[in-house]
Amino acid sequence: MAGFLYMPNTTHPNDVTSLSYCIVVRCGPNQQSQSLSALQFTQELLAQGHRVIRVFFYQQAVLIASNFTVMPQDEANLSLQWQALAQEHQLELGVCIAGALQNGIVNPQECERYQLSAANLAQGFQLVGLGQLAAASADCDRLISFGA
Amino acid sequence: MSCLISLSQSPYGSRSAKESLDITLVLAAFEQNPGLLFIDDGVLQLLPKSQQPSPHKHIGKIISALEMYDIDELWVETESLQELGLQLEQLSQPVKLIGRQQLSELWSKYDQHLVF
Repeated sequence: MAGFLYMPNTTHPNDVTSLSYCIVVRCGPNQQSQSLSALQFTQELLAQGHRVIRVFFYQQAVLIASNFTVMPQDEANLSLQWQALAQEHQLELGVCIAGALQNGIVNPQECERYQLSAANLAQGFQLVGLGQLAAASADCDRLISFGA
Repeated sequence: MSCLISLSQSPYGSRSAKESLDITLVLAAFEQNPGLLFIDDGVLQLLPKSQQPSPHKHIGKIISALEMYDIDELWVETESLQELGLQLEQLSQPVKLIGRQQLSELWSKYDQHLVF
C-alpha cells in the first residue's frame, strides 16, 4: 500500500494527526482485488496509528462473515484475516443483519429464531442494523467505502 | 454531517437500488440530511409503476416514502435523463436537474459521498 495514500507520518494513536475512520465493505469475497483492498487499507490505517471506529459489511460483503467458506489450501481466507485483524486491534466488525439473513449468514440467535439448521457467523463478526453504519459515519473523520 | 448518495443502478438488475435506498432512509432517520443523485440507469428508479418485476419490493414504494423522511434533495443528471429518452414530467418525484459539468459543485456541498 506504500505510496497509495497520503498519510501523516505517525505511529502514535493519540497524535493529533491521527484520524478516525469508518470503513464500509460492499464487495464480496469473490471480488478478489477489491475486497483485499478493503482489508489492506484497514491494516495500513491501523499500522499508521489511525483509529477505525467500525468496519461495516454490507451487500455482497456480508458473505465474508461466513465461517462455512473453505478456500483452496494455497489461497487466503479473507474472513480469517479480518478476524485476526479485529482481534489484534479490538476492531468492531459489524455485518448488516438484513443482508446477512438474506444471504444465509446467521448467528446462533437468528438460527434459533428462524429454525435453521446451523449458525455460521464467523467469530469476531456481529450482526447489527444499518443504524450502526449511520452512527459511525456521523462520528468518523473519514468514511471510506469499498466496491459493490 | 451530510451525505450524498449517488444511485447509478437500474431498479431491479440487482439488489443495489433497494440497498442504497435503505441506507438513505436510515441516514435520514439519524438526521444526517442525505441527498440523492440519480445518475445513469439509476434514473429508472424514478419511473412510476415502471415494472412489476421480481418477488422483491417495488422500488417506487420506497421512493415515494422519501418525502415522509424529509428527504427533498433529489437530483437527476440531465445527460442521463436525455440518454434514456425521458422527460422530467415522467418521473415520480419532483427533482432538480443538474448538468454533468456541475456535478463536482454538488459533490463539494456534502461531507460524505456514497456511490452505488
